[in-house]
Amino acid sequence: MRHPSEPAIEVRNLKKSFRDVTALDGVTLALEPDRIYGLLGRNGAGKTTLMSILTGQGFPSSGEVLIHGTDPYENDGTLARICFIRESQKYPEDFTPAQAFKAAALFFAHWDQELADGLVADFALPLTRRIKKLSRGQLSAVGVIIGMASRAEITVFDEPYLGLDAVARQIFYDRLVEDFARHPRTIVLSSHLIDEIANLLEHVVVIDKGRILLDEDADSLRGSAVAVTGNREAVEGFIGGYRVLHRDALGSLASVTIQGRLGQTQRSMAAELGLELSPVPLQQLVVRTTMAAQAETPLENHQEALK
Amino acid sequence: MSAIDDSRPIFIQIAELVESEIVAGTMAEETQVPSTNEFAAYYRINPATAAKGVNLLVERGILYKKRGIGMFVSSGAREKLLQIRRSAFQVQYIQPLAREARKLGIDGDQLSDMVRQSLAAAAAEGSVIQ
Amino acid sequence: MNRVIKVARMQLINKWTFLGIPMAILLGSTLLTFAIWAMLPPGAREGTLYSGSGQAVMWYFLALGIQSLTYTFPFSQAMSVSRRTFYLGTLGLFAAIAMAYSILYYLLGLVEKATGGWGFNGQLFALDWIAGNHPVIQVLFYFVAMVLLFMIGFWGATVYLRWKATGLLVAGIGVAALLLGVLAAVGLNDAWPQVGAWFAAMQVLGLSIVLGLVCVALAGGSYLTLRRATT
Repeated sequence: MRHPSEPAIEVRNLKKSFRDVTALDGVTLALEPDRIYGLLGRNGAGKTTLMSILTGQGFPSSGEVLIHGTDPYENDGTLARICFIRESQKYPEDFTPAQAFKAAALFFAHWDQELADGLVADFALPLTRRIKKLSRGQLSAVGVIIGMASRAEITVFDEPYLGLDAVARQIFYDRLVEDFARHPRTIVLSSHLIDEIANLLEHVVVIDKGRILLDEDADSLRGSAVAVTGNREAVEGFIGGYRVLHRDALGSLASVTIQGRLGQTQRSMAAELGLELSPVPLQQLVVRTTMAAQAETPLENHQEALK
Repeated sequence: MSAIDDSRPIFIQIAELVESEIVAGTMAEETQVPSTNEFAAYYRINPATAAKGVNLLVERGILYKKRGIGMFVSSGAREKLLQIRRSAFQVQYIQPLAREARKLGIDGDQLSDMVRQSLAAAAAEGSVIQ
Repeated sequence: MNRVIKVARMQLINKWTFLGIPMAILLGSTLLTFAIWAMLPPGAREGTLYSGSGQAVMWYFLALGIQSLTYTFPFSQAMSVSRRTFYLGTLGLFAAIAMAYSILYYLLGLVEKATGGWGFNGQLFALDWIAGNHPVIQVLFYFVAMVLLFMIGFWGATVYLRWKATGLLVAGIGVAALLLGVLAAVGLNDAWPQVGAWFAAMQVLGLSIVLGLVCVALAGGSYLTLRRATT
């Protein structure tokens, strides 16, 4: 039985280096059960490394991973509750999709063949063609179908949409919401198509250079930053005291993205100053936060060096 | 699905969408509203977020739960929402209007003429809320 | 159902890899040998006809060792199977198949002798130096030989998976250096007669035991390498 307050996934001070490259640099996270998490970040930020360690496919250089309280590495009892499909997932070369699903049905106790069949039809996947002969999109569809139909308590998708066209991606998102509503489980979705999945996510984790930059509820992020546009002097006067995420300027016109939630008074003040306030989409917020953090990092290091 | 934007938390937007339907009369009092899963599927949002929006309306007494059946619009919900919207009207619409009018040099008389004209036009469209 | 057995079942989903192809090779190479023997001019048929085609399937097992790791291990990871379970299931399945083939080889050897070398006075399965031994020793020898080839392939593929081409190169050089070292030591000490005598004295049982120990070493090495391999 699951304890209500017990996190599904707990990661403590995870570090991973490959020779001279530091892929993860002290990651600490706690993911609640039955939520959809977005793991966002640039290519090479450490997303895949993190996901493979927390699903027991990889192992850390130091630190700890607990899945419902136990280490998944080489632990079949815990692994049986997890499904992680890699972005470049390999399949036995001579397998057909039908055979891959047959294998998945062996290992995943909650496997739903009906759901798998429905998705096969949705993606128009040829079931009896050899996997090595499938297109990139069809290959991604195989991964998506295994991940969804496994109904694993913890399901992790690493950029599952490669090669899928806009229609197929929409099918994936729709089916995911539908099936998640009926069978809640912990889902981790890594992506850099943030706009497409923003509304599906309940919680957002942003990783950059092996560190967690942002770990927050998606809904509390929405509206947590605002773009202020108008006369440069007026903008500069208005934004005093706020953390600046981004600056754009065009002649005497300035547009500055600041972190902070504006109240009614500040909104009225902005209106009186002739400033326009516009919401910042999640995608931009993530991009701005990442870029701002990168700009600030050398400074931090410098300060640390001075100590 | 453009109904959802990034300016504010989605659960608040969901609550407001339901409120607007109630105010417009498309969701009548004592009728059942869609389930959170239906909201989630329709707006392509996380079901937990949809549930949060619906629960917000339950807390405010706009919706109520019938055990084992679903959510219903409370009687008197529409009137209650109209009251709230009327009191927000000044801040939400009149103040920006006045501010803009002042910027453009439109005086009080001109403004009230304009408002009267617009009211008449709206009445002709039949979109006045009774 | 036990996950180790599920791994074996996963390896058997495509029936050809572990079952169909070895059987096809065995049948094909045997029939081909018969055909060649049948076409030989009468003059060439005097005395015993030897053929190494019985080994063909053994060499396929080397390829199978490579293939069962490189193709299936990354997939087994996506199926949330631990490395240990994958290892036990795959090796267990192969051991069962190798045992079945070993017994089959022994039985074919009996048939060969009973039919006067398949009517050609040929030797395919009941090779002189093996067929004279106790049935258990014969089966043991075949089994060890098959497992050894499979393990060489499996171990090589594991080393490649973990350390890529560099690892394989280092391992290859290491093995070659070891063998050359042994040969050099024997040569420098003029010990060839003793080594020859040792081999002669060891016979099939002794050889099976020595090769069996190599198998165990490769199996242990494969497991330790696989435990820390990532896809």
